[in-house]
Amino acid sequence: MTTTAPLGAEAQTGPDASPTDGGRRAGRRIRMNSGTGLVFVLPFLLVFGLFLVWPVVQGLWMSFTDSSLSLRETSFVGFDNYAEALGDPDVWSSLGNTVFFTAISSVPLVLIALAMALLVHSGLAGQWAWRLAFFAPYLLPVTVVTLIWTWLYQPDLGLANQFLDTFGVGPVGWLSDEAVAMWSIAGLTVWWTVGFNFLLYLAALQSLPSTYDEAAALDGAGAWRRLWSITLPQLGRTTALVAMLQILASLKVFDQIYILTKGGPNGSTRPILEYVYDVGFTGYRLGYASAISYLFFAVVIVVSLVQLRLFRQED
Amino acid sequence: MSSRFPVPEVPSASGPAHRFSRRRLLRHGMAAAGALLAAGPLSGCAAPASASDASALSVWDLFQGGDGMLMDDMIKAVSGGSRGFEIDRTILDWGPSYYTKLAMSAAGGRASDVAVAHLSRLAGYAPGGLLDPFDLDVLAEFGVTRRDFTPAVWARTQHDDATYAVPLDVHPFIVFYDKEAAGRAGLLDSSQELAPMGSPEALLEAGKALAEANGEAGILFGHVTDTAQTWRLFAALYAQTGAAFTLPDGGRAEIDVDAAVRVVSFMQQLFDGRSNPNNLDYNGAIANFVSGRGGMLMVGEWELPTLKKSGIPLGAAPFPQVFDEPAVYTDSHAFVLPHQESPDPARRREAHRYVAEMLKQSLTWASAGHIPAYQPVLAEPEYAALDPQSSYADAGRVAVLDPPNWFTGAGSNFQNRMCQPLQSALLGNTSAEKAVRQMVSEANTLLRQPNPVA
Repeated sequence: MTTTAPLGAEAQTGPDASPTDGGRRAGRRIRMNSGTGLVFVLPFLLVFGLFLVWPVVQGLWMSFTDSSLSLRETSFVGFDNYAEALGDPDVWSSLGNTVFFTAISSVPLVLIALAMALLVHSGLAGQWAWRLAFFAPYLLPVTVVTLIWTWLYQPDLGLANQFLDTFGVGPVGWLSDEAVAMWSIAGLTVWWTVGFNFLLYLAALQSLPSTYDEAAALDGAGAWRRLWSITLPQLGRTTALVAMLQILASLKVFDQIYILTKGGPNGSTRPILEYVYDVGFTGYRLGYASAISYLFFAVVIVVSLVQLRLFRQED
Repeated sequence: MSSRFPVPEVPSASGPAHRFSRRRLLRHGMAAAGALLAAGPLSGCAAPASASDASALSVWDLFQGGDGMLMDDMIKAVSGGSRGFEIDRTILDWGPSYYTKLAMSAAGGRASDVAVAHLSRLAGYAPGGLLDPFDLDVLAEFGVTRRDFTPAVWARTQHDDATYAVPLDVHPFIVFYDKEAAGRAGLLDSSQELAPMGSPEALLEAGKALAEANGEAGILFGHVTDTAQTWRLFAALYAQTGAAFTLPDGGRAEIDVDAAVRVVSFMQQLFDGRSNPNNLDYNGAIANFVSGRGGMLMVGEWELPTLKKSGIPLGAAPFPQVFDEPAVYTDSHAFVLPHQESPDPARRREAHRYVAEMLKQSLTWASAGHIPAYQPVLAEPEYAALDPQSSYADAGRVAVLDPPNWFTGAGSNFQNRMCQPLQSALLGNTSAEKAVRQMVSEANTLLRQPNPVA
């Protein structure tokens, strides 16, 4: 708690102050500070509690009821919803889709972002233009992105198929072929969101101390050797952060799929969050939808814990 | 601020302000504040026709684009005069989200005074208490009775011997065609209208002939990634076989599998990817048709304004009968009264009067292509003069709606689930038998779920 307290001038006597420097006095001041700080964060805490914590608690309660969108009386059903969810093939198939999407989108989103950042950082001419070009798609709202890509993927008139046509390759069902659709969505997602990871990597690259690199260069190490042995290892923590954020973001995939394919063809792109939406809002079964989302919540927690442990070992 | 309060010169139902709900909210908020601050001295300024915004009748609908503008015109028309309405209109995006919001507002008990809903969704709303019934006596006072509607459509407004909806239109799934291409293909009768088909083979032949006459594609149909189109086509053709598609609550789906397979096989034959492309999406099909790259388009009549603008010699006809019985897949926009916890009787009465007055504006509505559900309008010479609307006016008589159940209807999960295997079949990824088997099992999956609105 105390490490978060320093604010402004008080920071000098904060956690960095030596222990001999009147520790008790500093402690008292910090406690007083945190009281003042509390007033400042109170509005946030209120909103956070009202719109995040409370719905989470409410949702957990709902998952044990047969709550629906109608005026019917709600009754407690215990673990019935959870039992139904575990036996529901649609839950498993949509969870599988989500995991598949996470796998095929996270890897390129990390690697391409890294490659882009290295390219820009290597001193390419016209840096600002590259930065803008790589980051710009990230600024577009999802509706615009899907609108652009709907036309690119359009089976008959779309640019993608027209392009293939010039090589004599037959039309691809970008969004209608069950084997292709999820890859198309992953492609769109990479184009759209890679800029954020690129920015994180670029920031990390720019803050690396140049001394190791210069020393290695003086010792005769080539560019590749320096990249592999000096730059990439130094980026380890950033990679861990980017990968963690990316996997969590990919697990939450919903909007671009919902707008683009509504989970089709034949449910092959329906992520679990869309199934929750379908069941809860289109199908009115709020209790059952809550149960599914809590099962998914558990999956996300497990993934996060595993990741955390992996990266901690790395450190 | 006070000058904003009485707005007699700007009928609240029209004008650009209505497109920006936030601005409108602000305006209403200011109006309300103005009313509170200056109630006494200002009340004399208000024109008698414009009640204060606080008492304006709130209406919800799902009409955007051309339909939205026509609805604006109709509201403007009923807002004028000494007994004109003050209408606070909210437009929401069509689809599942609209129905979620409607249900939530009704469950909250403070819904709008009047809303628009598809008749096919009634089974998911009326039994759960999300809608309040109409008072037919009050409606009759304002000149609207059940005799003003066709029995087929009126039957779908009923639940537990009460009327829960008043239909505004019937909007069938029909065909539009290029009159010149159809003429060259020899498909027109003596009065230059599309001649009856009569058999599946005739429609297959027509597709080939149109493709030849047109030089590109014959019949266009956009279905890829769409969540309703294949179902509309299937439901129309399936109903033509005379077989029943019933979804009994708590039971299993009753579907004539042989008839369904026959229909899906026919759909596969029709959209073979040669004469008639099988891989178009909704916008692609329309784009192809308006650019003259197809002879016929299977789509809802609501696309009429878009197609008219293209300048091609446009013909329209009810969906061709190719199997044993005439049937056309249809839905209907209807006025409903979302449930209110404690409705004010005077407002309820006004809501009834509003619905009656809007029905009498149906001719405006028909200009978008919709068939008015209010029959007296169909008899008017102005309607007969509407071309090509009048050529498919009969579609309402053989209307087939979704099988009633809580999960069916426009923008529903059910339609989406039916469309998925049908799309696979049309794209050649699965056989007709397999697609039908999947449709039956999807329907059974939905039937097994506990009814959340009963």
